Amino acid sequence: MPRILRYLFLLACGVAVVLGFLIHAKHPLFRWEIIPAFDAAFGFLGCILIVLISKMLGKYWLQKDEDYYDD
Amino acid sequence: MMISTAPPAFIFILGGLLLPLLRARRLKQAWLLFIPALAFVDLIALQSSGTCWTYHFLGYNLVFGRIDTLSLCFGYVFCIMAFLGMVYALHVKEDGQHLAAMFYIGSALGVTFAGDLLTLFVFWEIMAASSVFLIWYQRDKAALGAGFRYLMVHLFGGSLLLAGIIIHVSTTGSTQFGVIDYGSLSSLLILLGFIINAAVPPFHAWLSDAYPEATVTGSVFLTAFTTKSAVYVLIRAFPGVELLVWMGAIMAVYGVVYAVLENDIRRLLAYHIISQVGYMVCGVGLGTEMAINGSTVHAFCHILYKALLFMGAASIIHVTGKRKLTELQGRNLYKKMPICLSLYMVGAFSISAVPLFNGFISKTMVVAAAGELHRPIIYLLLHLASIGTFLHTGLKLPYGIWFGKTPEGTTRREIEAKEPPLHMLIAMGMTAFLCIVTGVFPQILYNLLPYPVHYQPYTPYHIVGMLQLLLLTATAFWLFANKLGGEPTISIDTDWFYRKGAGLLMRYCYRLDEARTGIQVFASRVVAGVVVVSKNPIQSVQSLFSREKSVLLPYNADTYRPAIGVGVMVLLVLFCIFCVILFFRF
Repeated sequence: MPRILRYLFLLACGVAVVLGFLIHAKHPLFRWEIIPAFDAAFGFLGCILIVLISKMLGKYWLQKDEDYYDD
Repeated sequence: MMISTAPPAFIFILGGLLLPLLRARRLKQAWLLFIPALAFVDLIALQSSGTCWTYHFLGYNLVFGRIDTLSLCFGYVFCIMAFLGMVYALHVKEDGQHLAAMFYIGSALGVTFAGDLLTLFVFWEIMAASSVFLIWYQRDKAALGAGFRYLMVHLFGGSLLLAGIIIHVSTTGSTQFGVIDYGSLSSLLILLGFIINAAVPPFHAWLSDAYPEATVTGSVFLTAFTTKSAVYVLIRAFPGVELLVWMGAIMAVYGVVYAVLENDIRRLLAYHIISQVGYMVCGVGLGTEMAINGSTVHAFCHILYKALLFMGAASIIHVTGKRKLTELQGRNLYKKMPICLSLYMVGAFSISAVPLFNGFISKTMVVAAAGELHRPIIYLLLHLASIGTFLHTGLKLPYGIWFGKTPEGTTRREIEAKEPPLHMLIAMGMTAFLCIVTGVFPQILYNLLPYPVHYQPYTPYHIVGMLQLLLLTATAFWLFANKLGGEPTISIDTDWFYRKGAGLLMRYCYRLDEARTGIQVFASRVVAGVVVVSKNPIQSVQSLFSREKSVLLPYNADTYRPAIGVGVMVLLVLFCIFCVILFFRF
């Protein structure tokens, strides 16, 4: 990635997180909606969680050779 | 009063049948675009709600037109999609492919407007039987096998549906298709028939198995109609069934997990159909006005952006002939196909619910409906699926196809590639345009929905929350980018049970057949033996005691007949004995 894009991307992340502290839900439905920047944390950790769990499932159970069904 | 035009299903089916009669290529192409446009105008002409096109048949009323906001909403998007798909498929010369597509679209519209269960069932089966040809026209071994499996699953689902319908009609005495009370045997059978078409796990494997094997243009049609018509009938018949809430939420995450492992680009997208239909099924289960609205509008938006994504992936396959990430990454295709990449990204942003794209105005409505009912686990599961969706369709797939690093230890030549043909780009462009317009002006869609909409997607809190979610997902992807490339593997799914199971069954059948042959051979030997013995019992008994091997001759009475003197002798002896007895007696 060109360096300028990288900086812009990080800037956007920063702005989104900072805005998360400034803008609050009008009628919070769940407790976590009061936590500032909850969505950011959820996005980051959720992504890592999905990748790790899926890769583990794949490696130890689901992934097979491409000719698995050809017999 | 309703205007009596033709049911849209008939327009497509008749239009398809007339297609082979047209000779000139240009005329054919015009006809392909004219039919969806005509069907769309036909629907626009139906302003009022009610039933029309009712035919009396064998003591039942067949209703081909049950018109209300819900059926019209699906009807509109089906016609729009038919038009876009036909533009994309203009280069296809085989009439058969177009014919299959026309029948498929027509029957999906037939399902949408069916007012009674019998009509519904008939169109349901036509849909399965016509769509399979979109797979078989690919004409390779994988497509043939996948098509057969696809057909078997759908015919099985259709049989369950028919069984349910028969029980339902015989117990209630009504063929009307409306809300079905959940709980009885008939309702369970009908529900099972529906969720097989909606690709709800564990009955989903036909989708990820068959769609990637279809023709380049066929897969674009397939993404739109089967699962969405199933969502429509679920909304009709089973709103508020709690089971569907959980099935939908699990389904949304299930598709995402498999997408992590997938290497085939269209199969990756197919798993995301399962994931996205999960939102709709969940919305049906939640059953509130907002949730039903959410499912309907999400189906509408999903048809558009998923078609766009499949068009993008199919264009890559059309141009390069390659369909796996491991074959594509590191070839720098972004330099050669920038327009295709940009249009694909519109679809990717839409499915990921980036603000100003149409996924944002639909997906968030289902999630908000879960929030409104205070269902924290469902809410978080759907949120999690959103992350996975952006991770794969928005980041991993475009990165792998157009950019990507060459796998370690290999050098990779750049391949011949250029933008796809103009009509494909036009189809993608029009779809992308609709994705953005409906995203920027959500009221266009909200006005079509079955219930009045009180949901406002563009609030600062929603927008910032979604941006945080997506940007930080992208950050995490950035960290993992090197580990997320394709791997040359396939992933086993619930189709394992019938693909391996069928093998086992066949092996069992062969064993059974061998045993049968054994018994048959034994029995025929016994019979042959009895035949030999009964032909000449004396000689066969004699041959048991003789050393020489004798040829068995047919029984000849003369061989064993004694001379006449022997008979006289016996008579004389008997006479003597008689005389002796007489002499001593008296």
